[in-house]
Parts: sequence; structure tokens; C-alpha cells
Amino acid sequence: MECPKTMPLDDESRLTAAVRDFFIAQNAAELRASVAKLPPNWRDERLHDADWEQTEFAFNRLFVGPMALEAPPYASVYLEDEPQVMGKTTMLVRSVYEMIGLVSPWKNTLPDDHISLELDAALALHRMLHAATPSVRGQLQELRVFFLEEHVQVWVPRFCARIEAAPSVTPVLLCMAAALRQWLGTSIARQG
Amino acid sequence: MNHSAVDQAQKAIGCAMSRRKFLGCLAASGLLAAFPGALLRPLEARAQGGFQEGLEMFRNACPRNCYDTCSIKTFVKDGVIQYIEGAPESTFTDGGLCVKGYAYTRRPYSPDRVKYPMIQSGRGSGNWKRISWDEALDVIAKKFIEINEKDGSMLGLALSKYSGNFGITNYGVEGMMTSLGYTSRFVGTPCWPAGIDAQNYDLGDMWCNDPEDLVNARYIILWGANPAWNSVHSMKYILEAQDRGAKVVCIDPVFTQTAAKADVYWEVETSMDGALALGMARHILDRELHDREWVRNNSLGFEDFADYLRREVTVDWAAEQSGIPAEQITRVAEEFATAKPASIWIGYGMQRHVNGGASVRSVDALVAMTGNVGKAGGGARYGHLRTWGFNYHALLQKRPEGAVGFLGTGGPMGDFDFTGDVQDEYTDRPLNMNKTAEEILTADDPPVRVLWVSCKNPLSQDFDRNKMVRAFQKPELIVSVEQYFTETVALSDIVLPVTTLFEEWTVNVSYWHYWMSINEQAIKPMYETKSNIEIAAALSKRMNELQPGSCTFPTDIDTKDWLAREFNQGIYDLFGISSWEELKNGPVKAKMHPASWHDLQFGTPSGKYEFRSELCAEHGHQALPKFKEGRKPYDKLRLLTPHTKFGIHSQFVNIDWMEEFNPEPFCYLNPKAASERGIKDGDQVRVFNKIGEVRLEVKLTEVVPPDVVMMYTAWFRNNPYNCQNLVDDEASDMGAYKTGMPGVAIHGQFCDVARA
Ligand code: SF4
Repeated sequence: MECPKTMPLDDESRLTAAVRDFFIAQNAAELRASVAKLPPNWRDERLHDADWEQTEFAFNRLFVGPMALEAPPYASVYLEDEPQVMGKTTMLVRSVYEMIGLVSPWKNTLPDDHISLELDAALALHRMLHAATPSVRGQLQELRVFFLEEHVQVWVPRFCARIEAAPSVTPVLLCMAAALRQWLGTSIARQG
Repeated sequence: MNHSAVDQAQKAIGCAMSRRKFLGCLAASGLLAAFPGALLRPLEARAQGGFQEGLEMFRNACPRNCYDTCSIKTFVKDGVIQYIEGAPESTFTDGGLCVKGYAYTRRPYSPDRVKYPMIQSGRGSGNWKRISWDEALDVIAKKFIEINEKDGSMLGLALSKYSGNFGITNYGVEGMMTSLGYTSRFVGTPCWPAGIDAQNYDLGDMWCNDPEDLVNARYIILWGANPAWNSVHSMKYILEAQDRGAKVVCIDPVFTQTAAKADVYWEVETSMDGALALGMARHILDRELHDREWVRNNSLGFEDFADYLRREVTVDWAAEQSGIPAEQITRVAEEFATAKPASIWIGYGMQRHVNGGASVRSVDALVAMTGNVGKAGGGARYGHLRTWGFNYHALLQKRPEGAVGFLGTGGPMGDFDFTGDVQDEYTDRPLNMNKTAEEILTADDPPVRVLWVSCKNPLSQDFDRNKMVRAFQKPELIVSVEQYFTETVALSDIVLPVTTLFEEWTVNVSYWHYWMSINEQAIKPMYETKSNIEIAAALSKRMNELQPGSCTFPTDIDTKDWLAREFNQGIYDLFGISSWEELKNGPVKAKMHPASWHDLQFGTPSGKYEFRSELCAEHGHQALPKFKEGRKPYDKLRLLTPHTKFGIHSQFVNIDWMEEFNPEPFCYLNPKAASERGIKDGDQVRVFNKIGEVRLEVKLTEVVPPDVVMMYTAWFRNNPYNCQNLVDDEASDMGAYKTGMPGVAIHGQFCDVARA
């Protein structure tokens, strides 16, 4: 799949939202619905022909369980020396959310550094920046730069690599890993 | 990128003040909450607890099947555990945990936890779907109603539960079964039943001295116990006694870390402990070193026992049977009989034999004839349940109206059977826990249609694993309640995620020491985990929606309230507190005399220590603590499967910190046995016998005798290793009297080994 190098803003947000919803989907129907939200130029044929039940099984093997996860969707796993959640990384991400006045609805029950929550925060930051008055824009921009470049950009490529190498990976999962990489590329590029 | 920006942001993130300022600034700009995400929510002003800096302390207790039942202090910040430590208020825990205990913080926060209810598409397929609690309970409740309609009873539902979580409220699992009607229960205990019965015949109960009282002993025999690994907190008392001049003897077929600390180590021929004890007894008798006054005043049948010893036991015979030279037997026997007080710690390992109960009775006799029973610093120490007198509120539920059950036995339903004396027309159907596979395969009328597994990992821990795999194909529905994806979960249809100790309220006591600890909910349950009693309540709700009256378990419970309901005046009096809330200040110790049986009022029919037990004879055993043969070898080597330092049964070994020390299983073989088979250290070998085989790496070591292969009982998350491939379900001699079923001859197993 050839990915457009730059994307209109709308598409970027749609992409972010679709990828976000994908990684937190609970079943085949939600997986399918999230994929349908991808911008039109991302409607890869692999996504059309997918066997959604098999995708769901594979999705659970990688990200949900009950078996040991092939590609845990938590930043901590990729950034900390030991594969644990709710440590320093999770708390740092929690602080970022709090600084922009947000909190996870699953605080202390789902690690704050779940990929979908981070994508949601990135989306919120993006929107806030657009609406921000000059007095706070600088600070917000700093925070966004920090969050994306010093955090997201460090772990998400590792996460994607883990997905790509996972024993149970399927075409749909590969496609979504590619979408995540693409989102990362354009988001980082956008901040200049 | 501009580094000062990063620095600033990091500084702001790291400093609560800056964060507040930053937040205030955003709030003033009207941006806050204007852009909540699809997932993230606006942070409400009052919910800004996120910035709190302080640590909160909660009380927890290690609920595993471990002698030590440690009291834990858990430190929490912003709802997240930061670290734990042993509670210093308990002199037993003494501020420290074991290597496993310190790994506890890894349990709630492992990314590999079972997080959500899930259903498997095809048992064993590995194809799992995430479902909601409602969906999961709907499937289960409908199945329960279906089997009840089909069979006219709930006997087709069987519960497999044992020692994975001894928190008292977890008896709510049994309570849930009762609330559904009369069900099938796997009864018994794999661990220690033969010894329990033996002590009941001899003394009238299993009741050990306070382990802290070991310091008062002037002579200690550790008989088939390895506290250096399995009761680390007891070691300080043994070492203290040693410092005060006590001699410590360790008797074990394997040279353990405990043996290394002892003054004398005897590598006893496995299962010949009874012969050894009787040889010592004969010598004590010959030298007239027994406590005549004690046996005259406090025992029954000593003369019969003495006659038996004179007639049928000699020191030379004992030496031949046990492999311990006669002069050593006589020396230690004399020392033991003359050092007062002297104590024997009877480990659970030595009774896991077809003659295990008989052996424990012989060892008890040694302690009693030397007048060491009922004394501080003395005692035949095995275990106790004297501090377990809770209400079992969660356990004691009513049967639904009109429920029909089993017409038959009314015997005990396990070692921790607290159901009381309620005699109904019907009972639950007892199935032998130690023959779980066989029972699932053969139970009929009705068959085991639904299997509910909680606090247990039968595929890893129960015997004859190949048969167990076959058995797990039979039930129509298998539900596992688990924290991790075990082999048992792999063969289940539904897995329900259960809380860790940090996520539930309960209370814990020990079967060894005399302390009681509260277990507070220190953090919110992660993901969608629920405690066992919350699961029972949710299931009951669904059952009653589908068929009113079909389940009596309350549908709406508060776990803290249920904890409070476990207490009664007896418990308060025993522990000298007036409210359970006092436990928040720290664990408390029962106000009991340090010596069990200190008043010499025994629980036996005669009220005395019974060297001759007619009850024992009535139950089909020998009235006297006579020698009984061990299991006949059926293969070239003996197989021993004791506990590892890095786990308790199937627990802990999968935790990453444990994996670092103990990444894979090994078997241990004496160099002599190895050279006979052309096996070198580090070879891959095949250990095999009539029921199965195991392939793993061998380590050659003198710590095991030449006729033994040893491997530890454990479950590794990334390794198919399972020692139960080689352990069959041969029964031990005793156990049925007090636990409902005999134990298993876990160490009465044989095998051979070859290069793979
Ligand atoms: S496993 Fe035993 S020694 Fe270790 S923390 Fe738990 S109770 Fe204490």
C-alpha cells in the first residue's frame, strides 16, 4: 500500500481516530467498524477481504489475552527495563493527560499508556492547539513536542515492529501497524 | 528538537506545582474540557488527586499455601502500588518477605494477566474472544439451568478448588456452589492428609506448637521439611535455638539448604522414615530413656507399643531399612531423649507415601515417649487450624428451595471443612480430589457436565497429567477463574479474571504460626477483574434473572462488609481484639499457650495420647504405630518432585523476577546413576515411566542419592514441562478420616532416565 506523504488534516484525524478505535476494540464487529473509519485512501483491499473472526482471535493473542501477549499495547513494556505496567512510564503519560485537563475513564484499572489512550491524547492536543490562544499555545506546543517526540516516537515503532514479527499476525493487523507508523510519520512531520 | 522545550516540559511533568500552574493556565484559557477525547474525560477539579504526592499504606497478607502467611505492608501512591515490605508488627514476619513475596508487585501489573472474561472457540484451540461479564455469566447461568432441568439436580456441576488463595472470604466459591443446590465437590487434599489423620489418631487433632517457640528447643529434628526454602521465616528460630546450644538434625533423602545448616544430616532411604523412628524408639526404650511418668499419666497403650518394639524392631533392622548407620541412630536417639525439651518438625514430604500416615505416627510416638508433647520447646510439629474459627459467612449459604442432591456420605469435605454439622436429607456428591482425572472420566448419573475451577491449576498440579488432558475433554463446559493463562485455562471454555491479593478485602491466618492479618483492598481491581465473591454475586444475579430462586447467593455485596462478617466473639477473644478494624494497626497474635496440648487434655477418645488407637484400627489401619512398607518400586529409579524455592505449586514461577533466577526446569541426577546411563551434565534427557515422560536438561549433583531423579513441581509459562506426566494417583494410607479422601503417594513414584 502506497501511503500519501502528506495528508489533509481531516484525514490525519480520521486516521488517528480509526487506529485508536482499532486497538481498543473488544470484538470483531468493533474491529471492523474501526477499520471502516479509515480515510478513503487507506481502504486497503486486505481490509475488505479480512476474515474478521480470525482477526479477532489474532488481535486477542497480540493485545488482549488471555495468553501472554505477543505485542502488549502499553508503552511501559517498550520503554522500561522490565515488562511491567503502572510504573514510571504509565505515570508520566498520566501526567501529560492531566496537564491538558484529561483523565482516563479507566484510571488505575487500565494502564494510561495504552496505545489507544495515547492516540486519543494526541488527537486532543492537536485540536487544542488549533483553538489555543497565543498565551497558552507555546506551552501546549512544548508539551505536544515532548509527548510525541520523546515518548510516542520512541515506543510506537518498537510496538509496530513487535506486531509485524508476532507469530499470530494477520494481514489486517499488519495493515493497522502500517497505519500507526504512517500516523506517527505525519504527526511528527507536522510539528516541524 | 529544541531541548530547552523538552527540559521545560519534563520539569513541568515532574513537578506537581508546575503541573498545577500549567493546568490553571489552561483552565483560564477555557481550553480544559473543551476537547475531551473519545476516550479521555475531562479531569474534574475535585478528582485532581492525580497530583497527590504522599504514600498511603495498606495491610495485606500473603494468601498462598505457604507455612509463613506473611503480613505485608503495601505502599500506594495515586492508586498505584509503589513497593511492599514485610510487616514488622508480626514478630514472625519480622519485616521481611521471601524472594517470592517480594515479587508480588509484579502480579497485578504484569501485562500478561488475565484481564477480561473470555470465551474459547473450541477448547484448546487458542482462539479466544473477549466477552463482557454479562455475556459470560449468561452462558454459564443458562448452562446451569439446563443441567438442573436435565438431571433434576445440580450434581452435574463439579467444583475443583484448593489452596491457591486461602483468604477466608474465598470460601465464597464453595458458598456459591451451595447456593446453587447440591453439587459435586472434589474433596480431600493432595498435600498433607496422611499426616493429619495420623496426628488425629495419636493426639486427637493436628495442633503444633507456636513456631516462635522453636527457640526454646534444645534439640530439633527437621524430618522431611525444608524450611530454608519453604518457610524462610521459621529459620531464624531454628538458628537462634542453635545459637543457644541446640543441636539440629535434618533427615531428608535430598541434601537441602536446610540440611546444609544442620549439625547432622541423614540421607534417609525414601519412605523408610517409619523404620528409622522405630529404631530410635527401640533404643530409647532399651536405655530406659523414655519418660515413664509422662507415658504413665498421659498416654494409652504404651506398653503394647513397647512390646511391639521389643518383639519386632531392632536398631540394626532400622539401620538396614533406612540406610543410616546403627551407631548414628543410637547416638541421635540418646541425645534426643535426654535433651529436654526436644522437638520434631514433621514435614509434609515424608507423609506423601503409601505408608506416610504410619510413618508420622511412629515419629509422633518418638516425641511422646520422651515426654516432649505438651511442652514449650517440644512438640511433634505438623500444622494446626486452631486460629481458623471464623464465621465462614461466604461459605455458609442456603440451598435453593427444593434442591435435590446426593444420598450418601456426610463425611468431611476437605481439610478446611467448615460447613458445620448441618445434616440435610441430601449432601453434595464427593469426588476424590486426588483422582480428579479418573473421577471426571467415570462419574456418572449425572456425569460431570460443568467443571468450575478456582484457586487451583489441576493441569499442572494434579496427578497423571495425560489422563487429566483426556478428562478435560469430557465436561460440556469448563470455567476457570484465574490471574494467569495456565495450562488449565488453555483447556477451559471460559476464563474469568480474578483479583490479586491487593485488589480484594479478606483476612488470613496460618496453618503454622499464630498470627492473623487483615488483607485490605489496596488498589482498584485492574482491568475487569473481580474477586471470587463478587463473581458469585454477579452469577447469582443472572441466575435469578433467568430463573428466580435458582441461586440463594446475595446478588449485591460489599466485599469489605463481607470481610467484617467473618468475625465473631470467639475470634476476638482468641486474638484479644474488640473489632476487626484494629487489624488495620497491624497483625495480631492469638493469645494461646506456645505449647500445643500444654494442658495434656488430648482430643482422642480416651483423652490421652494414644500409642494404641482403636479408632485407627477401626479405620482399617494398625492400632499401634507399627512399621508399614512403602510402595514397591516399579521402575529403576525413584522420582521425587518436591517444591522449588522460586514457587509454591504452580504459582510465582511465571513471574518475571522469578524467571530471571529460574528460567527453565532441570532434573537432578546423581553422577553415579548418570554414568551408568552415559549421561553427562547438561544433557537433554528423557525421564519416563509407565504413565508418561518429560524431556528436560539434567544437572548432575551429589545432593540427590544415586537411586533418585529429582525435579521440582512448577508451572513455567513458556515451557511445556510438567512433572505430573510422571506422577500417578496412587493413594497414601491415611487422610480419609479428617479430609474425606486419602492423600497421594507423591514421592512413592518411580521412573528411569535416558539421553534424549
Ligand atoms: S510465599 Fe510464604 S514466605 Fe513468601 S511472602 Fe508468601 S507467605 Fe511469606
